[in-house]
Amino acid sequence: MRGSADPSRAAVHTREVWKVFEQEPKDVQAVRAVSLAVERGEFVALAGPSGSGKTTLLNLMGGLTRPTRGHVWVAGHDLVGMSNRELARMRLEHVGFVFQAYNLLPVLTAYENAELPLLMSGVEEGERGRRIGELFERTGLAGLEDRRPGKLSGGQQQRVAVIRAVASRPDLVLADEPTANLDSVTSDALLDIMEELNRELHTTFVFATHDPRVMERARRLIHLVDGVVASDERRGPEPDR
Amino acid sequence: MVRAPVMIRLALRNLRRQARRSLLTAAAMIVGGALLIFSVSLGDGTHEDWIEAGVRMGTGHIALQAPEFLATRRIEDRLPAEARAAAEAALTRPGIAEHVVAVVPRLATGGLASSAAGARPAQVVGVDPVAESGFSILDDKLVEGRYLESDDRLAAYIGTGLAEGLELGVGSRLVLTAQDAGGDIAGQFVRVVGIFRTGIPEVDQALVHIPLGTAAAWLGSGADVTTIAVLLDRSRSVSRVQRTLQRGLAGPIGAGELTVLGWRKAMPQLDAAVKVDDLGQYMFQGVMFGIIALAIVNTILMSVLYRHREFGVLQALGFTPRQTGGLILAEGVILTALSGLLGIGLGLFVTWFFFRDGLDISFTWQEDWSFSGVVLEPVIVPMFRAARVLQGIVFVLMVGTLASLYPAYRATRIDIAEAMKFER
Ligand SMILES: Nc1ncnc2c1ncn2[C@@H]1O[C@H](COP(=O)(O)OP(=O)(O)OP(=O)(O)O)[C@@H](O)[C@H]1O
Ligand SMILES: [Mg+2]
Repeated sequence: MRGSADPSRAAVHTREVWKVFEQEPKDVQAVRAVSLAVERGEFVALAGPSGSGKTTLLNLMGGLTRPTRGHVWVAGHDLVGMSNRELARMRLEHVGFVFQAYNLLPVLTAYENAELPLLMSGVEEGERGRRIGELFERTGLAGLEDRRPGKLSGGQQQRVAVIRAVASRPDLVLADEPTANLDSVTSDALLDIMEELNRELHTTFVFATHDPRVMERARRLIHLVDGVVASDERRGPEPDR
Repeated sequence: MVRAPVMIRLALRNLRRQARRSLLTAAAMIVGGALLIFSVSLGDGTHEDWIEAGVRMGTGHIALQAPEFLATRRIEDRLPAEARAAAEAALTRPGIAEHVVAVVPRLATGGLASSAAGARPAQVVGVDPVAESGFSILDDKLVEGRYLESDDRLAAYIGTGLAEGLELGVGSRLVLTAQDAGGDIAGQFVRVVGIFRTGIPEVDQALVHIPLGTAAAWLGSGADVTTIAVLLDRSRSVSRVQRTLQRGLAGPIGAGELTVLGWRKAMPQLDAAVKVDDLGQYMFQGVMFGIIALAIVNTILMSVLYRHREFGVLQALGFTPRQTGGLILAEGVILTALSGLLGIGLGLFVTWFFFRDGLDISFTWQEDWSFSGVVLEPVIVPMFRAARVLQGIVFVLMVGTLASLYPAYRATRIDIAEAMKFER
């Protein structure tokens, strides 16, 4: 991998990262000089008004968008200078994603959806079955393995997406408004699951969210305003290492 | 591709999900493949008819003659009796004999035909009447009298054109004049026993068949002939038989006495006609599959645009752009290959089942249709060739792959962040 070495051991680390969308009449500075380090095992919420740059920052962290300036390291790898292919490889190995909705491939069953990243990274069949079976149990989805996404509720779909994101044991899970399409009970259940995975498997989560429930539960809350970090507060115990 | 099984499974599932789109694409390929095979089989059948009719009118699939004769058509450039014997022996050898349908010796020369009414240039051919009637289609073109028979001596079989020009009927006398083997001008009187009409003016006005013995005596050429014309079972046997003959007759060929001429060389116009018609056929197929390809490109491209978000998800999961494109390519190739092959199979079946005995296209013809000296039959019998089916398969696979390439390329270029934007 190219680029400079990560100065920290963070799961994800940004330094002076900018994202400017060139646009008429005026360029949009969606993310401005954000420097952040999310340590392994953290459970972080990115909050802020609509248009404050949460999604853009998350995309920068996952290598879905290239920064205009600055650096992003994921698990020590500098994303600047990586080819699209290398970025894809990096995501496969180090990052899991959960989006607001329509995360799953409609042609695959719940189990197959969850299994896909493991298949792609060449994890052998027995191991895939063990990991995914365990996660289906843990998230209360046992018995729904063979359902297509169209036959699952929104909450069930999001749980499958979470399983898919964590199954390959990534250094970082990025979730963009994962609860926005869910009712409060379902949201709480999903958050319970993610908290548990964070606690027991030390999976690092970063959420972009408007949802006060997510902000409450986060152990670190970062406020973005106009693409700038306005506040960054840690609550509760430091994450286990 | 490293993850081929995953990709193929995904591709198959996607094809099934988009059943309507898939069926449309498949239908285009099936119809295209079927039409391809149908028209290629009929085209090849037509050409085989042309060739068959052409070589029967002319000097066969293969002509054995002196190297200069093709250009000069003069009696000096004839096959000496020993070369003729060697050639006739070679034609009975295994490896060749199986493909030989008929062999005729001919002694041809240009000359003059004259009667009390005048004189006309003539192409006089001395033939073995029995062998010739099994070879040439000229005897079938009889309009009056009869064809030559084995015990005929001073008999002539002439065309309607010549008969009119010289005011001849069956039983009329005419005199043939030509340079003989010794270089002197010699005349021969013959009597008309039959008159033919091929519909080709040049032939009807000039061609005269007389018995080979009569011609040999008239021209003083002994057992020499100008051409040994060979009819084979089918035009595809030509190159093999030609090669074998060339090996077997290396002696006379080396001595410059004899050459083994294929019909393509002997009848360059017919060869050109077949090639031009093939070219027309290829252009038609090209245009048809061009349209099919555009329709497929459009259909797959629509599906790529429609599934933008899905490709965003795949790439967020760690699919490389190339793997994403590969998925689209796999979908396109699987679908077009299967449907193209199905179409070819269907084309073979339909052509074989319904048109095996020929497709009568006489209703499209106003009158006789002649072409480069060949009078054609109004029934096209299809011809099936493994090589053509293979060509068709390769072509169909190529079209399908090419049509899938652009949409696949587009799928590699999507902006993931854009694709993942949530529309509220
Ligand atoms: N592709 C783009 N082209 C131009 N401007 C963009 C693009 N993507 C985002 N923006 C702009 O960048 C800014 C930040 O957008 P972003 O989606 O990151 O905000 P957000 O905090 O996620 O908002 P929301 O809470 O509504 O999801 C906005 O002003 C948005 O209009
Ligand atoms: Mg957003």
